[in-house]
Amino acid sequence: MGFSTDAIHAGQIPDPTTGAVITPIYQTSTYAQDALGVNKGYEYGRTHNLTREALEKNIAALEKGKYGIAFASGLAAIQSILGLVKSGDHIIATENVYGGTYRLMELIFKDYGLEFSWVDTSNVVKIRKAVRPNTKLIYIETPTNPMLRLTDLRTVKGICKKYDLISVVDNTFMTPYFQKPLLFGIDVVLHSTTKYINGHSDVIGGIVITNNPKIHERIRYLQNAIGAVPSPFDCWLTLRATKTLAVRMKQHNENAKRIAKFLSENPKVKKVIYPGLRNHPHYSLAKRQMSGYGGMITADFGDLKSAKKVLNRVKVFTLGESLGGVESLISHPASMTHASIPKREREKLGITEGLIRFSVGIEDVEDLIADIEHALK
Amino acid sequence: MSNNVKIKSRKADIDDTKYSMDTHIIYGKDVSDKWDYSHHVTAPISSSTTFRLDSVERGAQGFTQFAHTEEFGEHAPIFIYDRLGEPNKDMLEENLAYVEKGEMAVSFSSGMAAISGVLGILTVAGDEIISHNTLYGCTISLLKNWYPRYNIKWNPIDLTIPENIFNALTEKTRVVYFETPSNPNLDIIDIAAVRKIVDQINKSRGDKNKVYIVIDNTFSTPYCQRPIEFGADFVVHSLTKGIGGFGTDMGGAVIGKKKFRDILHLIRKDFGGVLSAKNAWSILTYGLPSLALRQKQQIKTAMQIAEFLNSNSKVEFVNYPGLPNFRGYETARKQMVDFSGNFAPGALIYFVIKGNTPAESKDNGRKFMDYVADNAYTMTLAVSLGHTRTLVEHPASMTHSVVPPEELANRGIDAGGIRIAIGLENPDDLLLDLDEALKSI
Ligand SMILES: Cc1ncc(COP(=O)(O)O)c(C=O)c1O
Ligand SMILES: Cc1ncc(COP(=O)(O)O)c(C=O)c1O
Repeated sequence: MGFSTDAIHAGQIPDPTTGAVITPIYQTSTYAQDALGVNKGYEYGRTHNLTREALEKNIAALEKGKYGIAFASGLAAIQSILGLVKSGDHIIATENVYGGTYRLMELIFKDYGLEFSWVDTSNVVKIRKAVRPNTKLIYIETPTNPMLRLTDLRTVKGICKKYDLISVVDNTFMTPYFQKPLLFGIDVVLHSTTKYINGHSDVIGGIVITNNPKIHERIRYLQNAIGAVPSPFDCWLTLRATKTLAVRMKQHNENAKRIAKFLSENPKVKKVIYPGLRNHPHYSLAKRQMSGYGGMITADFGDLKSAKKVLNRVKVFTLGESLGGVESLISHPASMTHASIPKREREKLGITEGLIRFSVGIEDVEDLIADIEHALK
Repeated sequence: MSNNVKIKSRKADIDDTKYSMDTHIIYGKDVSDKWDYSHHVTAPISSSTTFRLDSVERGAQGFTQFAHTEEFGEHAPIFIYDRLGEPNKDMLEENLAYVEKGEMAVSFSSGMAAISGVLGILTVAGDEIISHNTLYGCTISLLKNWYPRYNIKWNPIDLTIPENIFNALTEKTRVVYFETPSNPNLDIIDIAAVRKIVDQINKSRGDKNKVYIVIDNTFSTPYCQRPIEFGADFVVHSLTKGIGGFGTDMGGAVIGKKKFRDILHLIRKDFGGVLSAKNAWSILTYGLPSLALRQKQQIKTAMQIAEFLNSNSKVEFVNYPGLPNFRGYETARKQMVDFSGNFAPGALIYFVIKGNTPAESKDNGRKFMDYVADNAYTMTLAVSLGHTRTLVEHPASMTHSVVPPEELANRGIDAGGIRIAIGLENPDDLLLDLDEALKSI
């Protein structure tokens, strides 16, 4: 089935008892059992929920995966991934991942005996060099947040095969509409569904998708054992949102392309980073690996003072963390999303004080351009 | 999968008649002929406007059978479209009918939609409605401002003397409508006495010009009073109030005899005042199961507050059905009883603060309420009732502002009258705030 068809139908058969076309919100914490050890396959709300199941099947289908396991947040999904390895194991991770992912790994899980190497995964040689005898997993964000650097998924797959590693991709920025890592042989895809997948800035959620039955079994076990499950209502809202994912992503992409071009032509902007621009270092990889370039743009305005001016003067763009909503957001990575990374590390990654991240929404693009233009005057 | 698949329920054959209503109110009828949600423990929230039909033939069957139970009997419904019916509303309706001792219930989007729904099926142009003088403001507005457009006449009288019906009665009278206790002043009307009179009237009338008794039971909730047991033909509710109980959802319902269900479904379908499935779910899941507990607590508190006000020197008088010196006390004792037969005088209190002149009394009432609005932690100046929070309001300028000042006395409302709807706070805290508010005058 095509993407939009799956988005609307996958996992959502009309309710068997009533024929309801839209999946009900199965707002129950427990299920009555027929007799000791006899039930209809549902025992307890943390373990099973029908609305959650519908969402899991739906997003799994979009990612071309067999199994989806939903979580209460993107970070809860990432935490479950770390349950695939053990104390003493080593993980190679993309160096400028989302700040919260960095915090979870470096500041929390390191204390539990996991080892991490932060590597520029856009460079194959650097990945290979980082592999150790105890390496178990490669964790990739592509494009990265906020520097929008790309990693070649085919190469990662090759390395993982050679060294018997699990490959994991955070696909939050692209969504399956523009990039399907499983089709490149990646083992596990995850999302902060809080972002584009839900898309309306009203739900926090995460999901893990895989084709590997063993990984599925383990993550499913962790979902129940750790317990960071999403509420039925949040699952229902997210299900409502996936139905418009295709149309939203098309518009995010269109708008971002126009704004990236506008920013590139403005002399006050020192540098524009957008995978759809020819001068992006990974432009040809982007064309090969993704079917669009997404809605995220990062631009350097030179220094904190100029950046602040833009951040404070825009009116249609809202200053705020998060991304991927229908409304445009603007943020300052150095002091907001990536503040938990030490300054020196940050600057090494290129996250300077003049850097602004745009999450381009689906408003009329003329209004968005006029807004930035006015702020730059 | 089709609707006629019968799911075998573990509990379908339990004899539930031997259990008390306090218990029933929690379980309701989630195992019925129509569906079995007992397995879910809490029913799913129905979230679909439309329902898949298995075939054109079956779809057609659904449309033909809708609201034709007289012809086709009581089948498991074929769900078609939310406005015609869906599982959450149907479940709520079964439970409401059950607690109100009616044969059926039909839910509506609000209390007003329910009231206009039941009056809509009982009257046509040229008919007349007799009601008590004192009613909820918007019900007065419906009868006074809208029904003349349809040439339906409204005849408000003092129903605390039920014999007054004979004076107001005409050939055209179709409905006797009242609230007991009435909003806001808590007049008590003897339901059984009204029944007796209406029976006498109906003796000489055929089915077509019969008089029906419709009672708004919002103030009592079925916990304190089941008017059908005393002879009401229909009970209406604003579910927004004590039954919903948390102040989160609007809703209404009409409860009565089974033969009226079809026409109520039809009027709801065509006038469109349909209860949202999500509201139905929350009333079903939170409201009804906690009704008995909430009411018990609120009645206990109300009694304490009423006694406190009754003995406060700044208070002119207190209307509360639980006070022996209240004029409706004897009748209230008879008809306001809880599921176990104990006196249950409700959670609303009406009182007037003293003044040397009516104007001064009104002014003192305003001072009291403004003090509450600014300083009371446990009381909120707001309309509505049956909430977890205690709500205080001034009927003359709020819920009953439709009544012009010169008509207030006729409607049984004092210019300075104050209505308190008791919540679930600790009664000592309410007394503290009340005491301070009264001292501030
Ligand atoms: C790429 C990426 N992954 C993961 C997360 C974490 O997701 P959540 O906030 O839903 O826990 C975020 C959130 O900003 C993100 O941008
Ligand atoms: C006695 C009574 N009946 C009916 C209503 C109307 O109900 P709703 O506001 O749900 O339409 C109210 C509302 O205050 C009321 O107090």
